[in-house]
Order: sequence, then C-alpha cells, then structure tokens
Amino acid sequence: MEIIQNLLIPVLDLQLLSLIALGTFAGIYVGAIPGLSVTMAVSILISFTFSWDVYPALALMIGIYMGGVYGGSRTAILLNIPGAPAAIATALDGYPMAQKGLAGEAIGVVTVVSFIGGFIGILALAIFAPLLADFAIRFQPRDYFLLGVLGILLVGSLSGESLVKGIFAGALGVGLGSVGMDPLTFTERFTFGTDGLRAGVSFVAVMIGMFGISEGLMQLHTLNSPVIKQKIGRIVPSWPLVRKHLPLGMQTSSIGTVIGALPGTGGDIAALIAYDHATRVTKNPEVPFGKGAVEGLVAPETANNAAVSGAFIPMLTLGIPGDAVTAIMIGALFIHGLNPGPMLMVDQPDMFWFIVSSLALANCFMLIFGLTGIRAFVKIVEMPRAVLLPVILLLSVVGAYAVSNSLTDVYWMLGFGVFGYFMKLYGYPLGPVILGVILSRLLDDNWRRAIISDQESLWMLLKGTLMSPLSAVLFFSVVLIFVSKTPLWGMIFRKRAA
Amino acid sequence: MQTKQPRRPGELVFNLAMVLGSLFLLWSAYGISGFEALSAPGAVPLVTTAVMVVCGGLILRDTLRKSATTAEKLERDILPLPVIVTILAILAYALALKPLGFLPTSFLFLTGLIGYLRGGSLLRAAIQSLLIVALIYLVFRIVFTVLMPPGIVPEAEIIAWVKSLFAGGGT
Repeated sequence: MEIIQNLLIPVLDLQLLSLIALGTFAGIYVGAIPGLSVTMAVSILISFTFSWDVYPALALMIGIYMGGVYGGSRTAILLNIPGAPAAIATALDGYPMAQKGLAGEAIGVVTVVSFIGGFIGILALAIFAPLLADFAIRFQPRDYFLLGVLGILLVGSLSGESLVKGIFAGALGVGLGSVGMDPLTFTERFTFGTDGLRAGVSFVAVMIGMFGISEGLMQLHTLNSPVIKQKIGRIVPSWPLVRKHLPLGMQTSSIGTVIGALPGTGGDIAALIAYDHATRVTKNPEVPFGKGAVEGLVAPETANNAAVSGAFIPMLTLGIPGDAVTAIMIGALFIHGLNPGPMLMVDQPDMFWFIVSSLALANCFMLIFGLTGIRAFVKIVEMPRAVLLPVILLLSVVGAYAVSNSLTDVYWMLGFGVFGYFMKLYGYPLGPVILGVILSRLLDDNWRRAIISDQESLWMLLKGTLMSPLSAVLFFSVVLIFVSKTPLWGMIFRKRAA
Repeated sequence: MQTKQPRRPGELVFNLAMVLGSLFLLWSAYGISGFEALSAPGAVPLVTTAVMVVCGGLILRDTLRKSATTAEKLERDILPLPVIVTILAILAYALALKPLGFLPTSFLFLTGLIGYLRGGSLLRAAIQSLLIVALIYLVFRIVFTVLMPPGIVPEAEIIAWVKSLFAGGGT
C-alpha cells in the first residue's frame, strides 16, 4: 500500500507531472541537437535547481535523462549525426532508411521500441533494486572500495581510446575529490595553504566545465558542417511491424538493462552490444544491416532506453553511478542532503519509488512527444550552431555562478573547461574524472575503514578479500580488466585465434 | 616501434605537463601525512597521484613512440582562432558579470560571439541575442528565481515596477 502511495506521488502532483513532461520534452531536443548532451544539460541543471525541493529537481532531471537518450536517435536518423553517444549504433541503419525516404517510419519505430525498452528497464529496476539493496546491506567496506575501483576502471576502459588514459582520468578525479579538509582528521589535502581550497573544489564547477565548456569548445571545430535536410513521411509504425520485432526487442532490452546496471557502463555501450547481438541472431533480415535494417534500429534503441533505468540500480542500491548522468544525479542527491546506497531504500523508500514512477511517466511522455511534432522538430534541429554554442556557454557560466553566487566557481569552471578540452583533443576520457570526483569520498572512507578493521595489514585485507566470495569476485574483476588490456593477453588470444 | 596514429600537435607538451603535474601532486600528497599509516589521510591521495605518475609516464612513452609527422597544425586543428576567441570571451564575460550585471553582459557576450562565429550582420546577431537573453532571464531569474548579479541595471526596481503593474491590474 505504501509503495502504491509513493508511486502515485508524481502522478497526483500536477507540478511534478508537468516538470517530468517538460523535462522529457526538453530532453528530446537536448539529446537530438548535436552539441548538446544529456550530461551537459543535467550538470547545468543542478546549479539551477539546487535550491528546489528534491522531488521537483529529480523530476526534471529524470525527464531530461529519459528524453535525452531517446532524442539522440532523431539526428542519427535525420542527419547521420548521433545527438548522443547512445545513438551511434542507431545511425548505422537509421540514416540509410532516411536516405530511402523512410525517415518518418524510422523515427516511429525507434520511438515505439524505445518505449518498450524503457518500460522493461523500469520493471527490472522496480524488481531487482530492492533485492540488491537487501543484499548490499551486507557489503563490507572493502566491497564498496572494490566496487568504486571497478566502476572507474570500467568507465576508463570502455569510454576512451586507452585504459591507461582512463585510469589516469579516474585517478585525477579521485585526487580532485580529495581536495580540502579531510572530514575524519581535519588534515588539509592539496590546499597549498590557500583558504579558497579548504572547502574543496566545487563539484558543479568541475562538471559544467568538463561537460559544458569543453564540449562547447570542441563543437567549434565543426561549426560550419552543412545541415542535411530530410522529408518526413508516415510516423506511427504498423502493429505487425512492431510485433515482428518484439522478440528481438525483448532480448536487447534485457541486454540494455544488464549493461546499464554495471557500474560505469551506460546506454552507448549497451546499444553497441545490442546491435552486435542483433546482427548475430537475425539470420535473414529483409534489408541487410548497415543498409537500413529495422532490426538495426530496434536493438540499440531498446537497449539504450532500458539502460537508463538499469543505471539507476547501482546508483540507488550501492551509491555507485551506472554512468556519467547518474554520477551527476548522485551529486544532486548529495546536494539535497540524501545519501544514495542500500540505506536509502531502508530510510527513504519513498525516494526510490518516486524515481521508479517518474521514470515510467517520462517513458510515457517520451512516447507521446516522440510521435508528435516531428516536422517542427526538424526545423529546430537545423538551428545554426553559431547561435546555439554561445547560448550553451552563457548558460554554463550562469550555472556555475548560481551555485554559490561566486565568480571563483566560474573561474574553476573555465579552467576545467579548457583543461577538459585539451584532454578530449588528446584522447583522455572525461567520464572517469567525474566518476572519480563523485566516488572519491566513498573510496577514501571505505579504504580506511577496511584497512583499520584489518589492523593496518595489507596481508589480512587480501586474505579477507579472497575468503569472501563477493569480495573475491570484485577483486578478480578488477584484476581481469587490468590483465585483459596488457600486451600478454592480446598475444595469448591472437595465438588462439590463429 | 612506432604506432600507426601520428602525434597530434601539442600532444607531447600536454602529456609531459601531465607527468610533471602528477609528480608535483605526488610530492604534495606525500606532504599530507607521509607514510604514517595505511589509513592516514594522505594514503589515498598518495596512491592516486602515484597512479597518475605511472599512467602519465606510460602515456608519455606511447606519445614519444608515435610518428611526429602529421598533416595537422596547432593553429588549425588544436587551437583555432574561434576557440581562443571563445575562451577569451568567456573570461571577459566572467570579469564583467559582477560590475556590469547579467543583462548587459549577457547581451554583449552573445551579440559579440554570435556575430563573430556566424559572420554577417551584427544587427541580426543583436536582435537574436536580445530575444535569447530575454528568454533566459524570464526562465532562470523569474521562474527558477536564480540570483544573477544586477550590476548597473536597477533590477529590483524594475521587478517591483512590473509586479506593481500586475497588482494594479488585479484590483
């Protein structure tokens, strides 16, 4: 009964319902317009909503997240430019369909299957997160420490060109997160004797700089790329077409949920793996993959929308973000005085069910907005980037200023923006930096708890890790990621393949 | 052995700066509590910065192995003029935000940057900027009640005047 009451919170509150609708609508555009990203939008949004109550702030962010992941597919189909990384696989068959004059049909299919994928992900979140949270209460500090390391390593290994750069970026993030006074001993760390650094580096400034400013600066390289215009035909797909691809959609939704639930992985990886799955299980597609196969749309789009809810599973049950957006959302929850983790489900179950319900509503709004207004949408997407980019940069500055009405945060943001720009240029992934900043406290606290409980002995810590099945699995997962990236691993597998 | 991908302009300097920066941070992390204990406040910073030094070193080694011959140019592919102008414009915007206030600074920033990036008529850029600033102000200042520096604009008086208009209309 209590669960139903909590689920109805956003349904019965007109303000929350409107914010979810507004967020989803805005998210579709944010995700679709190349140069705007969901991560960027959510990070800027935190600075504007931190003074709100937690429910309205989360409602808006959830809407943007859900709409944004879907919205990326629009420009992937219409312009061959994925609006978001999660839509990279969608462009492979979506754009060839648009070239054949089937842009409307492609968008329609994508909208319906995204809804299906989103729904399966939400169902998985509602069923499995409470079970995982019950289990997670038994986690030891060393397990949290290993999970944090695993999350950073996964993001580092999957989001960039090299694992080493990913680890560097993650370590940099952890270092940034530890700037200021140590909360346990009040020792100064990396403050260099300056008062301004004692309170630490503003997490929002780092985030807006890395995702808003640096992305904006990167977009300046492609300012004058020509806009391809498309004609839109039939949009709502026929039921036989949807029914035909439903079994594949169910499989790839499950893949998306699982991939999304792994700490550090997100919709982009889920979509690519699902696409690969579709190419293997579809024996005789009507149109070959890469030439406009409907299966090539169904697989990535069900998976990336299922991954949205999947990413909330580790975030809400373990306090470990599933991807960059949930990393930012954890930041938002911290700002609002909440502490995501297994105890959140015990202390504030209303928050969990509110998130589940908001995701479900955002998914429904996505279906409604997705199937309407596409012709008007095409006009807006064609907005020149020379106008769009200054607006993004302006919002970034205002956002950084608004957090504490301080210009210092604006300078930090600009500094991190320029730094992030160079990191991107030279192949360093930025996701692990943010994940590192977010997980810094968790890593530090749990490491110290773990080593103190093992009497400051590394040997005892290792022994305890290997004796516990969960710790051992996490430990060997970390080791496996390292080993799988070494030249030795490559040599062994090349030999086997030969 | 050289890897296939050539070295980008400035990549070596950037990666070298990363190593030197990491070494400085490692030294700074050591200064927190030295090797006092594994649970000391400096333990995690020491390990993270050590990881940065090792990774930075490996990245630098890989960079050195790359071919230095590339078709890319620093001034065209890494730091083109629009990027430099935009960074300077953001800096100027941040500096002028408090003394001038949100409305005039944002208008000037947008007009200047849109005019520069898009080319063409400055009047058109000014009209677009005016509309955008008005929209942002309405959404963020009025709806989201985000505080912006008023600067030279008597914002409180204007808002009070607008409110009095509505109050007057309501009676």
